[in-house]
Amino acid sequence: MSTPCPPYDLRDLLLEELTAPQQREVRLHLKTCAACNSELDALRSTHAALLTLRDEDIPQRIGFVSDKVFEPSPVLRWFTGVWTSAARLGFVSAALLSIAILVHATRPAPQTPAAPTISQAEIDRRVQQAVATQVAAQLQPKIDAAVAQAVAETEKSAQKRTTEVIAAAQRRLDMERTWAASVQLELSRYNKMKQNGEMVRASFGGGAQ
Amino acid sequence: MIFRAVEDADLIHKARKGDVDAFNLLVSRWDRRVYNYILRLVNSREDALDLSQDTFLKAYQNLKKLEDPSRFAPWIFRIAHNEAYSLLRRRRPEVDSDEGLPPDRVVAREFPVEMSLAAAAALNRLSPDHREAVVLKVYQGFKFEEMSDILEIPVSTVKSRLYTALELLKTELAPAVRRSNS
Repeated sequence: MSTPCPPYDLRDLLLEELTAPQQREVRLHLKTCAACNSELDALRSTHAALLTLRDEDIPQRIGFVSDKVFEPSPVLRWFTGVWTSAARLGFVSAALLSIAILVHATRPAPQTPAAPTISQAEIDRRVQQAVATQVAAQLQPKIDAAVAQAVAETEKSAQKRTTEVIAAAQRRLDMERTWAASVQLELSRYNKMKQNGEMVRASFGGGAQ
Repeated sequence: MIFRAVEDADLIHKARKGDVDAFNLLVSRWDRRVYNYILRLVNSREDALDLSQDTFLKAYQNLKKLEDPSRFAPWIFRIAHNEAYSLLRRRRPEVDSDEGLPPDRVVAREFPVEMSLAAAAALNRLSPDHREAVVLKVYQGFKFEEMSDILEIPVSTVKSRLYTALELLKTELAPAVRRSNS
């Protein structure tokens, strides 16, 4: 009894497109399946018939000569050679850097125009004038602002101190008033007790003397 | 010093730098295969030789565009395919009329002659697409994925074309096979 036909195509087996396990499975099946054997034989015969048609030798060898038409330009070849080699690229970079340093070092300094001759007195005068102008323009507003700020702070401080002194005097006055009131109260109590004593003494006829 | 075989990738690397001798060595490795591939597509030795030369010239000029040197074979066959089909498109009326003719220009030299002639005739009766699929697989030995790259079609289409072509060839060649077996 034959096994069920495998899901692989016999043409793939013939054309060597199956994996080794797949080939084993198909070959195992072929031992028991006459239909698949017949189909594979037909395919092999076709393949063998095709292979009787052999490759021909090429009638003329193909070759190329180093023709300028096909070669890249020398500049392009040089650039390509430098660009594709790290060592060459490094060397060229170093050379360019050296040339730049050399040119910079040997290049004459740029000519500066000669300064006009001015006397020292004139220079001093101009400096003083410039300083005065700068002071007038920049320093004076700063001074004014600083003075105004100092005055404001002083006034604020004096006002605060006055307020504190007044508050302290007020507290002291209140304390003295309280003390006077308590003294007045004690005095009235004393007088009342004195009157009561005199009334008692009068009611007993002064026998106590 | 370590000796190893010079691989195509080595030659491609040198050729990219302008080494024509390296490219010529690369050509000598592939020109026979490319020539026979084109020959079976265009059925003319003269055209096949011209197209082979054009193929390798274009390869040299575009070698820098080959991203993976290990994929040189599919790449060069893709160029050859384009060259052959460019010619076939220019000569379409002639190609169409030749399809049914016996292959008098492609002479099979191997014994048995009858089988070779039958195979050549059967191949020629295939459509160009089917014939090319058979040539790439049976004669050039490419895998389905490589054929997909060369023909720029999906693998499923490659297999479909090849299977159809094999069925047609099986039918066409059956009488010759029977005669040779008897």
